[in-house]
Amino acid sequence: MKQTEITLNVNGREVKTTVSPRMTLVDCLRDLLRLTGTHVGCEHGICGACSVLFDGEPIRSCLMFAVQAEGHEIRTVEGLADEDGTLSDLQDSFWECHAMQCGYCTPGMLVASSALLCENPDPGEDDIREAISGNLCRCTGYQQIVEAVQLTAKRRKEVASNG
Amino acid sequence: MMKFEKIGQPVRRLEDGRLLTGRGRFSDDWSLKNQAYMAVVRSPHAHARIRSVDTSDAENLPGVMAIFTGQDCIADELSPIPHSPEPSTKYDMKLHGPGGSDVFIGNHMLLPADKARYVGEALAVVVAETLAQAQDGADAVFIDFDPLPSVTDTKLSAVVGAPVIWDEVPDNIPVETFFGDKEQTDAAFDAAAHVVEMEFHIDRVTGVPMEPRAALGDYDTDTGRYTIYAGSGGSVRQKREMAEVLGEEADRVRVISKDVGGNFGTRNRLYVEFPLVGWASKKVGRPVKFTCQRTESFLTDYQGRDLVTKVSLALNGEGRFLAMRADNLSNVGSRMVSLSPLSKGSGLITGSYDIPTAHLRSRAVFSNTAPTNAYRSSGRPEVTFAIERLVETAARDLGIDPIEIRRQNLIPPEKMPYPNAVGMTYDSGEYEKNMAMAMELADWGGFSGRRSEAEARGKLLGRGFANYVESSIGTPREQAEIHVNADGHIDLVIGTQPSGQGHETSFAQVVAEWLGVPVQCISVIVGDTDVVKVGGGSHSGRSMRMAGTVIVKAADELIDKAKKLAAHVLEAAETDIEFKDGQFGIGGTDRQIDLFELAGVFEKHENLPEELGGGLSVIEDNVMETPVFPNGCHICEIEIDPQTGAFEIARYTTVDDVGRAINPLIVDGQTHGGIVQGAGEALGELCAMDTETGQPLAGSFMDYHMPRADEYPSFSTALNEVPSPTNPLGVKAGGEGGTTPALAVLVNGFVDALRPYGVRDIKMPVTPRKIWELIHANS
Repeated sequence: MKQTEITLNVNGREVKTTVSPRMTLVDCLRDLLRLTGTHVGCEHGICGACSVLFDGEPIRSCLMFAVQAEGHEIRTVEGLADEDGTLSDLQDSFWECHAMQCGYCTPGMLVASSALLCENPDPGEDDIREAISGNLCRCTGYQQIVEAVQLTAKRRKEVASNG
Repeated sequence: MMKFEKIGQPVRRLEDGRLLTGRGRFSDDWSLKNQAYMAVVRSPHAHARIRSVDTSDAENLPGVMAIFTGQDCIADELSPIPHSPEPSTKYDMKLHGPGGSDVFIGNHMLLPADKARYVGEALAVVVAETLAQAQDGADAVFIDFDPLPSVTDTKLSAVVGAPVIWDEVPDNIPVETFFGDKEQTDAAFDAAAHVVEMEFHIDRVTGVPMEPRAALGDYDTDTGRYTIYAGSGGSVRQKREMAEVLGEEADRVRVISKDVGGNFGTRNRLYVEFPLVGWASKKVGRPVKFTCQRTESFLTDYQGRDLVTKVSLALNGEGRFLAMRADNLSNVGSRMVSLSPLSKGSGLITGSYDIPTAHLRSRAVFSNTAPTNAYRSSGRPEVTFAIERLVETAARDLGIDPIEIRRQNLIPPEKMPYPNAVGMTYDSGEYEKNMAMAMELADWGGFSGRRSEAEARGKLLGRGFANYVESSIGTPREQAEIHVNADGHIDLVIGTQPSGQGHETSFAQVVAEWLGVPVQCISVIVGDTDVVKVGGGSHSGRSMRMAGTVIVKAADELIDKAKKLAAHVLEAAETDIEFKDGQFGIGGTDRQIDLFELAGVFEKHENLPEELGGGLSVIEDNVMETPVFPNGCHICEIEIDPQTGAFEIARYTTVDDVGRAINPLIVDGQTHGGIVQGAGEALGELCAMDTETGQPLAGSFMDYHMPRADEYPSFSTALNEVPSPTNPLGVKAGGEGGTTPALAVLVNGFVDALRPYGVRDIKMPVTPRKIWELIHANS
């Protein structure tokens, strides 16, 4: 099958790779770029485990072909912490609130929550539940994820008011 | 109560750093150079004889390397999976075949050559250069079927004349066992003032771990060893069973199972694809990878629940329970993989209540469906549903307050340990206190005001209530190995396998507590059978209790060993050495040495007496048969819009007795997740089947209703920690209590809301459409 060379910007770095046109973005990230933090939970766009930020917006990387991402900026779970490895405030809140158990949905939850907080810095519980309702988690019952997002928003407010 | 510093603290989990940054090691994350891919040819029929398999077209497709069928398994003398379906520890409810016969198990071959017994059953595999080529190859395998009549429904499978799944079991009933006392029960029913009878089908659902199962097999021709990278509920069992299937000694198989994306029972038993990738790797001389697609998971994951239960309760004129009858029929699917749900449920039919006598018939039935297995709280949500719906209905039918009827029939603490009427002995619990705590937390008294307020908005508000007690038994043996390294860290090697329960943290808390060191210096090593050689896996709420007990035993032994060395180093008598906060010292002096310094002495010292050799390490084994009985009380409030049938869970409150909670943060998470997993079955989850053709109708997330974040409120939870007297830490279990009563409490809530419309029962899953129909059927 015909192969196409594509250039992606993944976690702030330009990468070139060669894909067949039918390869999904998530397979490209996982199998070619070996960024296995992004997970595949259903291959049909429902569970949200494969969510990544695409030019800042959360998308399902199982529903997009890798060739469609040519020239776009992609951020995966591997790119959420600072360069020096310091966790983002959202990651740290997930940790503090025990917002993950098996951790399989976590990358998608982080992506969905981080997009929510960009759009709405002070979300209520219903807003958070709505924002993550497209991401399935079988372990947590969602409550500690909601609490983690609330804690992040609270900490950002504190930082803003102190700064 | 013992006083602890690290046990009981909400310590941040040690495993989370990697999970938050995408550095987990889930099954499909493993890849090996030059790996080939395996795709599975699955049965499109619920029941069909296999006339022949034609692989010639597929063999000629690009990239296809090999195709294996049931005949190849026979030719290579592969053995069936050695399932051990019967729970067999000392205190399990023992099941047998009709008339006391042995239970028929049947041959679970990796690829059957005789017939397909359910839609999705693996019949052949194709190995190819790429996954797409393997899938194309699988599509091109032609199987000539002779379709047979099929049956999937639980009751219909047990009817005389139903299609026969196994020729050896012409009535499809491989298990029939009676428990309790029939004569006493009959006499009590004859003398009863009231008898309330109900029948329930706690229908088929599936575990849906978010990580689909996957396996990578790598056969090494030089060593003759298979390495299988495959996440499961317990790698030690997987290794043993795979070795047996492949006809190899156990040490020829190594299983690596690191991060596991959820289990819930679904991964406890061996799947055919795991030994298949090993076998295929040997045949093609390359690593072979298989990753399940979500639809394959829906069709072929071992599924859960599916119990038909007919229950009746005899009461006297004052509402005192006199006796209970139950007739339980568990659908085990097409193959006998596990009888855990039937057995566990059999021991708990009388629930939290002091019912003097009972009689139970427990049967299993084969059908043309995926095999069933333990699913979160195996067997207990089903019987809890039956008893709590029955008690609730009895109270309503007899005009007694449902709380009062429960209170007057609860097992009181002074009757503990309490032998119930079918032969289980509950260890401890304060059931009435659970109820009182839950009612206070739920603002029981404020309900009528909330109901009026809802009514003013045109809504119905219902309230559900359920008590529960469940058993935690599980494989009795566990092993712990503790090794203290001079560089300041401690390895704990333990056999039980986590899949999100936080073992790396809670087990570390126990070690840290005992050895007086920080939690963070402990590494819990799991999931590589070359390192972890013994262990029972995570099931039946056993891990914290079994591991905690053996860790304490091992840590005590380690301290004894270290004391001997400390005495040697400090030139003192062993009896003068005191151990405190990680330091070994001589009482009344400042002479002391810490644990890690001692480890250094072990590592360097060449002239130690013989009994002090071997490093600062211990291996300890423990066998603990005695079960424990977590228990509690849940309350919910559900608001319904009678115009549309749409509903919302307004409140959900729990009080759980998990025994001692090692890490309350983790226990809370287990409770929340457990509630939603139980509620899922009440509110939407169903492995729907077309009963005519046996075709599953729920094959994706588009048609299987998974619980979502916006369907649930935040829960109000509390613990009533009554330490179990059966183990040194007082642990019961915290993983299943959320699930066990959730089905009952929610359906009780729906029925309460809809009572004005004459509703006495609703079959799960309760959907807006069902509610709307019930409202309109009676208007």
